[in-house]
Amino acid sequence: MKTLLADGPSDLYATEMEQFGRLAGHWVTQITYYPTDGSPARSVSGEWEFGYALEGRAVLDVWQWPGRQELPDTGRAPDQECGLCVRIWDPRLRLWRFTFHGTARGDLVHMYARQIDDEIVMERAAGSDLVRWAFADITADTFHWRNERSTDGGHTWRLDQEVNARRLR
Amino acid sequence: MAAAVEVIAAPWNLGLRPPAPGREPGTWRAPRALLSAGLEARLRPARVVELARPPYEFDAQPATRVRNGVTIREHALRLGEAVQAALAASRFAVVLGGDCSILLGCLLGARRDGRCGLVHLDGHSDFRHPGNYDAGSSLGSAAGMDLALATGRGELLLTHWPVVGRPLVADEDVIQIGDREDAGMPPVTRFTAQQIQRIGIADLGGRIITHLERRGLDRAWLHLDLDVLDERVLPAVDSPGRPGLDFSQLAELVSTLVGTGRVVGLDVAIYDPERDPDGVYAAPIVDCLASALTPLATVEAHA
Repeated sequence: MKTLLADGPSDLYATEMEQFGRLAGHWVTQITYYPTDGSPARSVSGEWEFGYALEGRAVLDVWQWPGRQELPDTGRAPDQECGLCVRIWDPRLRLWRFTFHGTARGDLVHMYARQIDDEIVMERAAGSDLVRWAFADITADTFHWRNERSTDGGHTWRLDQEVNARRLR
Repeated sequence: MAAAVEVIAAPWNLGLRPPAPGREPGTWRAPRALLSAGLEARLRPARVVELARPPYEFDAQPATRVRNGVTIREHALRLGEAVQAALAASRFAVVLGGDCSILLGCLLGARRDGRCGLVHLDGHSDFRHPGNYDAGSSLGSAAGMDLALATGRGELLLTHWPVVGRPLVADEDVIQIGDREDAGMPPVTRFTAQQIQRIGIADLGGRIITHLERRGLDRAWLHLDLDVLDERVLPAVDSPGRPGLDFSQLAELVSTLVGTGRVVGLDVAIYDPERDPDGVYAAPIVDCLASALTPLATVEAHA
């Protein structure tokens, strides 16, 4: 599988690849969930690794919780996530096509993404709702990510989950 | 005013629901039907660009609740490039659809050169979006959403565009003309079919021009959904209704607007030749368009 990962972006669509490619590296995360039933918010630690792949035409990431320091000696439990995200720039759509493949619950999520102002916004229609995952406040060593849902067509959004990330390397 | 007409054929039906299980809508046949009925001869276009017919999918596409949403985006981008090229060549773009979702590509192309208003002639407001109907109950049809999408309401897939961003047109730069609806109205300047019956075409044209001037809109796109016509003169559309314009009224209005020099192009949508098996209605549509656009064709002939 040496051809899966790549050292950098392809010359094709280099500008677009940089949008997610600048996240390449290893991050520690603090993940906070805001339940819809009004129960208190809860947080877990995690890790998030990003890297170029497929001859620099894709950006992959691996999303994990809990982080390694909080992993039990017996290893990650079946319901604790270690999932794969695949992002491929589609020049025909001028958008990123995104899929998340979860191993804990078998989640498979499709989304479309593009840079909007200073954020990278990913979105999917889920039934009558819109779900948005957004990378914001991106610096060399930190970024913020939020998972929001709109039940009114994007007029208002409810924060379901957020992540504060700090670069390890 | 642009020096010549460029016709762009956009043979698609992506924005409409199937008329029967397993059967595609027939609007994709309209460009060829209208050109064959004499439109090309009458307009004498500097060029005819024929875009490919996109594949129609009956099932939902990933992560969108808009029928054919992914395909509409791809082909809207292609149509936008064609419109942009026509305008860059100082031609008046005439886009033959197709269903109303072609509006997105048309505006995208027109907006590449800056601000552009929208005169939206349509027997319906086409303002459905996830905020005013239950998108979870059935797939949405972009032909009933085109004004909402153009003004930035709906999924990212069909509201955020390269270079232009969102929206393709601001609410304040839209004039909606000819709808017969009472609910779910867009927050735009509006003249209903009933109002038009009262004030007449000449007055309507004047009010539209005044609005464009007041908004400082030197450029506008004209969307012409043929269901703005009364169903008694054109029933061969997806959702016919009444009251509506007759062909002479439509020709007068389009001629008036094009004559201002502010309209950079127009699209013609929703004529369905499969609802017109004897080809009865293609000729009056061609007559109407040719009559309204005659000054442009004449300029081309003497250029």
